[in-house]
Amino acid sequence: MSTIISIRNLHKRFGHLEVLKGIDLELQKGEVMVVIGPSGGGKSTMLRCINHLEKYEKGEIYFKDVLLHEKRVNMNEYRMKMGMVFQQFNLFPHRTVIDNLMLSPLKVKKMDPAEVKEKALNLLKRIGLSEKASAYPINLSGGQQQRVAISRALMMDPELMLFDEPTSALDPELVGEVLEVMKQLAREGMTMIVVTHEMGFAREVGHRMILIDDGLIVEEATPTDFFQNPKSERTKEFLRKVL
Amino acid sequence: MSDIILSMPFLLQGAVITLQVTVLSAVFGTIIGTIFGMGRLSKAPFLRIPSSIYIEFVRGTPLLVQIYIIYFGLPSIGIDFPPFTAAVVALSINAGAYTAEIVRAGIQSISRGQTEAARSLGMTVWQTMRYIILPQAFRNILPALGNEFIALTKESSLVSVIGIAELTRQGQYIISRTFKSFEIYGGVAIVYFAITFTLAQLVNWVEKKVTIK
Ligand SMILES: Nc1ncnc2c1ncn2[C@@H]1O[C@H](COP(=O)(O)OP(=O)(O)OP(=O)(O)O)[C@@H](O)[C@H]1O
Ligand SMILES: [Mg+2]
Repeated sequence: MSTIISIRNLHKRFGHLEVLKGIDLELQKGEVMVVIGPSGGGKSTMLRCINHLEKYEKGEIYFKDVLLHEKRVNMNEYRMKMGMVFQQFNLFPHRTVIDNLMLSPLKVKKMDPAEVKEKALNLLKRIGLSEKASAYPINLSGGQQQRVAISRALMMDPELMLFDEPTSALDPELVGEVLEVMKQLAREGMTMIVVTHEMGFAREVGHRMILIDDGLIVEEATPTDFFQNPKSERTKEFLRKVL
Repeated sequence: MSDIILSMPFLLQGAVITLQVTVLSAVFGTIIGTIFGMGRLSKAPFLRIPSSIYIEFVRGTPLLVQIYIIYFGLPSIGIDFPPFTAAVVALSINAGAYTAEIVRAGIQSISRGQTEAARSLGMTVWQTMRYIILPQAFRNILPALGNEFIALTKESSLVSVIGIAELTRQGQYIISRTFKSFEIYGGVAIVYFAITFTLAQLVNWVEKKVTIK
């Protein structure tokens, strides 16, 4: 097994508020890590630090063996390798579905348009949205938008996918279709960090679970152990609330 | 009435100059405004501070004085524009400052999630601006830009003071010969209105055209 992400002693503050208080984490290739924890605990902040949407003042994050915050590292190159899916989808509303998928491969990777288009159409087919290729995001349901957003990230051939509560903004009846795409991805061996409260997903495809509370990882275990014999009091309390 | 009709060809000649000055200034003003609008939002002080100074200074001083500075003032430091160029330079600088504020508001109206999604796909700051933020911002600010261009059309009458034979100046010529102030200025006003009204319709049409359905 090879390590894709390792985080050492990560600290992050917003002004006076210390949000991450020393996170240590290793993620292996092919691993699906599920992150849970109470609101405000720092889950999103941790994800956003990993792909450097957020700066941090202390600690190290390595992608494979590259220390990401070093000056000589071109972070744009590494962000491509880490697809990110947001709670609010964040599709580009002024672009059609297929253009959402094609934009970055064309402009950032300067790939061949015909090749990009074929790839985009294939991905849309896989998520069952071929007929929406030329629709604008506004005309899609939330579930469809999120599936498109996942495909858009996959267009860059990422080595790792970061999901920040991808189903939290969806109507309950639309959650399933998005989780299905994510499970499929997990089964194909994609390395994933998923912040979610969907415990079924965690049980079904998760390899490891962590609970982040108040800026620290308070529990780290396989899903089975996590649910059956949590060690920390805070985990027990959290599980009582969500289950 | 007949004076108005007889003077119409001359007024229309003036209107053509007015349109030339206005369109050129609108184009340059939009370019300047986009650059300084982004500049004002920059994290880098060496971009942000000069942008703010330019915008605030221009908005805080009369256009007439700005025209005087460009046409009468600059030659004393060796920059001597012909009248038409001076007119376009002054109006562009003026429009640029107002447009910069419109562009800034437009950029700020786009949610942070858009930037984050673009950056997470590997786009640089500049690619994000160009492909994601600005296209959406311009859609949102189209009505405000339209108003700015209409204001610019009207304010272009001030360049008559440096001898540009635009609409207002042409009116003054005709009056100096016919002494029919009311009729001729009335005609001038009607021509301005025809231009601004057409412009407003044009903006409406473009707005409908770019609305995502
Ligand atoms: N840009 C910001 N500026 C200031 N404070 C912030 C910012 N982003 C997050 N915070 C604060 O940092 C803390 C952690 O936020 P974060 O979004 O990481 O939590 P979370 O675990 O993802 O919570 P949730 O389950 O609600 O999404 C919160 O107190 C939040 O208010
Ligand atoms: Mg969050």
